[in-house]
Amino acid sequence: MSPPRLTGALRSFSTVSKQEDFTEEVYDLKTKRLKRQELFSREGLTWQKIVQFFTQHLEKAEQQAAAHELKSILQAAKQIVGTEHGQDTIESAAVFLFETFHNKDHVGHEETRAIKQMFGPFPSSAADASCAAVSRAVAPLGESQVEEFVRSQSSCRAPQRGSAFGRNITFSYDCYTLDPQEALPWAGGPEDETPGGGLDF
Amino acid sequence: MACAMIPLDEQQVTEATGPLGKERTLPALHPDRKEERCFVPYKPPPEDSSPAQVEEYLEHGKFITEDLDWLLALRHDKFWCQVVFDESLQKCLDSYLRHSPRGLDPSSLPSSPAVADMQRCIHRAVFMTFLRMATHKESKESFITPTVFGEIIYNNFLFDIPKILDLCVLFGKGNSQLLHKMIENIFTQQPCYYGDLDEAVLSVLQVLDTILAKCGLQCEGATAIEPLKLSEPSRPTAMTMSQQDLVDLVLYLCDTCTTIQAFLDIFPAACSTFHCHSFLNRLASFYEVAVPDIEKAVRKRNFDDKSLQEDLWRRVCHARRRMVEMAHLLLQHTCLQPILEGSENIQTFVEELLQHFTTFLPEKRFLLDYDEQFPIADDISLLQQAFPLLDETRTSYLLQGVEDAWDSIGRRRTQYRPQQT
Repeated sequence: MSPPRLTGALRSFSTVSKQEDFTEEVYDLKTKRLKRQELFSREGLTWQKIVQFFTQHLEKAEQQAAAHELKSILQAAKQIVGTEHGQDTIESAAVFLFETFHNKDHVGHEETRAIKQMFGPFPSSAADASCAAVSRAVAPLGESQVEEFVRSQSSCRAPQRGSAFGRNITFSYDCYTLDPQEALPWAGGPEDETPGGGLDF
Repeated sequence: MACAMIPLDEQQVTEATGPLGKERTLPALHPDRKEERCFVPYKPPPEDSSPAQVEEYLEHGKFITEDLDWLLALRHDKFWCQVVFDESLQKCLDSYLRHSPRGLDPSSLPSSPAVADMQRCIHRAVFMTFLRMATHKESKESFITPTVFGEIIYNNFLFDIPKILDLCVLFGKGNSQLLHKMIENIFTQQPCYYGDLDEAVLSVLQVLDTILAKCGLQCEGATAIEPLKLSEPSRPTAMTMSQQDLVDLVLYLCDTCTTIQAFLDIFPAACSTFHCHSFLNRLASFYEVAVPDIEKAVRKRNFDDKSLQEDLWRRVCHARRRMVEMAHLLLQHTCLQPILEGSENIQTFVEELLQHFTTFLPEKRFLLDYDEQFPIADDISLLQQAFPLLDETRTSYLLQGVEDAWDSIGRRRTQYRPQQT
């Protein structure tokens, strides 16, 4: 809980700020994850594009194995998002797993966090399975080829940092703190020893 | 696409809408142009740093920074649609101002480097968002009619006095120039904020009264407290209240003083509003009555945790210093500066300044602490140079009063700090 603040009192006891409406919706993490999934599925890479990429860049003989791995990724995605979701949601989750693991050989801390942030708690076996399937699927292809494909397809999703407001503004993280130099001597000694050199009128 | 060189509030856009992509024309600033983003409210870093809580904080933080980065990368027209019509964004920003730890908070140090990094990212993104919200002209092409901008920020509570004070105390230490520009622009384009500030000053005075009342004290000019009936239990004082109440009281005092001082320092134009409510006299009286009482309680009460006692002591000292600085800022901007600038009613300002110094004379503790930090003799000397007609008897009386106060405590000034005028 925050310590008592002047601005808290002003908000509560004056009429200069908007009165809180407790009936208004506040988004929780679950709702936010669903919204992120929705936004993710709307932009950038799609499952169809991934399937098409493998079809175009692999020999006929390799395509069957790749199709098998893609199916495994879809299966893992289904376990992560839950069986109650439709095909679109599952495919979107599979895209996310592909993007996450296309250049990884194991499920690290960052990947675990990224999946959890997108879908909430998930079975780790599904993450391991999808990671392994993605690795096997991209193995016959060149690393840079896959990287370029993912990057080009995902670029419209990332915020355009180059043009973001405030990018050239110098910002200081300094904050007001207690300055030990400002504290008057703390004697803690005899009762009659007053701090500040005897200003006890 | 919005049209160039026309203010945003007058622009129309034609956009494809609906599943069939049918085109329609609508104002550039329209709720239908807002994106459903679902900004989540901010939660402060966890205190116990359990892995689960840290994870949750980092997840929350990631969502906020991701969304604010997205917002800041939006085009001017889309940014304003989001700002004006997305309640979840306003709740997110407001929750940060309310709950983000201040440098002065008892446990403001983040529990892990990852948490600290995330906190810094959110901190910057929130500031940049407010900075953009306080800017009505981003470029030649991206701007809002100033009066309409004033209405937008005021009517939608994008800024209000508590938010402005929070911004000062959270970001003011290292970004005072930017904040000054922001707040100046807000007050210039929407003078109604001066009215709100006027009301807020009354509440600040009530806060001072509340602190006095909690200590069982009463200040001159404060609302009269009814006399106690003999049968009633005596009111708690700083010495007798619970330790937690004393801690809260000191934290509250410390926060109040830091916030007001930061605000007046960053936006000196607000000094005149405080001045209208005789804030300076009330502050001096408050200082005289409350400071010794609270200091005594902090020093003499029995604390099991000595580090808490020392922390409270540092906070009381901090609050004292901020109060003296507040007084100096008020005198500087409402009296001294107009005199030094040769204003029209110079005599009125001189009279007012001398009157203030005279009022300080009986408030010995305040007087000496003020004089130690901002020597009154220096101001009198400045006055004599700017206004040679100064009544010498009066200034001598004042200076003698200050010397007598020092003599009465048997101590001389411990140090002089250069004046910040």
